[in-house]
Amino acid sequence: MTAQDADAGDETVDIAEGIDHQVAMVMDLNKCIGCQTCTVACKSLWTEGGGRDYMYWNNVETKPGKGYPRDWEESGGGWKSDEHGERQPGQIPDQEDYGEAWEFNHEEIMYDGSDQPLRPDGDPEWGPNWDEDQGAGEYPNSYYFYLPRICNHCTHPSCVEACPRKAIYKREEDGIVLIDQERCRGYRYCVEGCPYKKVYYNATQKTSEKCIFCYPRIEGEGPEGETFAPACAEDCPPQLRLVGFLDDEEGPIHKLVEEYEVALPLHPEYRTQPNVYYIPPFAPPQHSEDGETVDVDRIPRTYLEELFGEGVHDALDTIERERDKVDRGGSSELLDMLTDTNPARKYRLEVFD
Amino acid sequence: MSENREPGNDSETRAGRSRERRSVAVGAIAIASLIVVTTALAPMLVSARPANQIPVESVSVDDEPQDPTSDAWDTVPAVDIPLASAPSGVPNASDTTTETVSVQSARSDERFYLRLSWSDETADSNATDPRAFVDAIAVQVPKNTSARPPIAMGNTENPVNLWYWSADGETEELLAGGPGTTTEFEQAAVNTSASHDNGRWTVVMSRDIESDATNRTSLAVDRDVDVAFAVWNGSNMERSGQKSVSEWYHFPLGSGPQGPPYEAILWTIAGLAITGVALVTIHAVRNTRGETR
Ligand code: SF4
Ligand code: SF4
Repeated sequence: MTAQDADAGDETVDIAEGIDHQVAMVMDLNKCIGCQTCTVACKSLWTEGGGRDYMYWNNVETKPGKGYPRDWEESGGGWKSDEHGERQPGQIPDQEDYGEAWEFNHEEIMYDGSDQPLRPDGDPEWGPNWDEDQGAGEYPNSYYFYLPRICNHCTHPSCVEACPRKAIYKREEDGIVLIDQERCRGYRYCVEGCPYKKVYYNATQKTSEKCIFCYPRIEGEGPEGETFAPACAEDCPPQLRLVGFLDDEEGPIHKLVEEYEVALPLHPEYRTQPNVYYIPPFAPPQHSEDGETVDVDRIPRTYLEELFGEGVHDALDTIERERDKVDRGGSSELLDMLTDTNPARKYRLEVFD
Repeated sequence: MSENREPGNDSETRAGRSRERRSVAVGAIAIASLIVVTTALAPMLVSARPANQIPVESVSVDDEPQDPTSDAWDTVPAVDIPLASAPSGVPNASDTTTETVSVQSARSDERFYLRLSWSDETADSNATDPRAFVDAIAVQVPKNTSARPPIAMGNTENPVNLWYWSADGETEELLAGGPGTTTEFEQAAVNTSASHDNGRWTVVMSRDIESDATNRTSLAVDRDVDVAFAVWNGSNMERSGQKSVSEWYHFPLGSGPQGPPYEAILWTIAGLAITGVALVTIHAVRNTRGETR
């Protein structure tokens, strides 16, 4: 498929009713090195202290793996059907499933001359990235990849629908999903209602909190009045995130999602229609015992289908086809977009003005 | 009681005596049955306040009614109010655990007191875990006491005041015009104190009787004031619309601190009725005898 083909079937982008534009992010999973710079950038900006220590609005988990919070994919939430009439019941994760914010023995090691190894106080049995790099499969065909996750600022956010006080809402200008801290009474229906478990309860503030897509940054609320992409995107060393409006037909996001259909939402079967999209991961093919390459996918397609839905097959095939084209000396708009290093094109910040 | 000692001839007298004895016996049975009936009715009469009324007694602040364990409450009658799951769209709305709240009410010259007590084995007083919810109770009164608002937190035309206590020690005074619309008063005018003993919460709430603040219910009124209650059990993850609620009850603030003298009126009516029945019976017995004579 080419962009022209897709244009022929011209359809307007499906964004939520009453919303002018929809923010979106595309993350290329083939570039993620699991460095957690995005996690730290987000944490140091938004979730340090004040009851937020256990929260990671941005987290990067190893797949296959239990994720953060542990087994979030089994915690319910989302919608029962595409009519978005009835919600799937969900659960609030246990504190242990998130993991506690550990205290470390820095003091002893740095000041008291202890020769103990650096380690958390207490004896934690789980935490974010406890199963980091574990993955699945048997040597020499084991595999894993990293999955960075933020709130998807969904088109049909079940978190919004779950709130009996309408404290959580999708804002009109760009579809960012926000919690009105004045209206929130900490009932946590949004926490159980979000199938991605991207709303967190702050027991100190007694309200729920979540990713705000760094809206003050995209609005240019900083000291210099400059606009910036969300911190997780700007600070990513391999620059694997694209930021813009889904409905900005000039931008790469629209092309990757709507035209080439190579950027896919995570767990589309939750039916919230996420606006974070992923370029699915490739891996080298499997090896035989004696190190010969065999024509078998290392990351089972069935597993990728579990995560990204049926569209993953076409997406991988499209990328592969375009790669072959480039290998043969041709040019590919798709690969140009996926390898573009120009920040102005990756972050279409002008659309936020 | 009808002793007739009129002399007559022997036979007549004998006959008369036997008739007398019979009439005495009839009278005695009538009285005995009255006593039995009265005894049976008395407790009913005592509790026969008008339906859904919570009497308001007088207390002195010196007796420390703000203390849930104060003796001041020993003499204040308690009304056991049945609770049921509130109709609500939130998940698990029908899964609630509290069935009754016992309510006492009293007033001093200045303040209005409520003592609320309900059974809850676990005192859930902090919500530091994402899955933890605190126990709570709320009292609802109409903002405008002259009209009864919809029981589910009023509506925009007829909002309600909510006095909300939660076991983490927080007290809030809220205004609501329908479910999901509560907004907090800047400054809560309600004081609360609580104790948890033997598997029961006891919470005393008090507020000034007078209020001239916008949207705050004044209790300095000369009428019945509607009131309803809601209880949340934190360990059952009850919050928001998942709660046990009462019907409307009322405080009889119509005639002075004692409320209208319903009990006295009822006793007077009952007394008159008893006397009336007795007199009619005696009269009937006498007439019967007169006829046969
Ligand atoms: S990811 Fe969850 S919290 Fe974010 S908008 Fe979607 S449903 Fe709501
Ligand atoms: S900063 Fe970029 S590369 Fe590093 S973990 Fe986050 S998304 Fe992956």
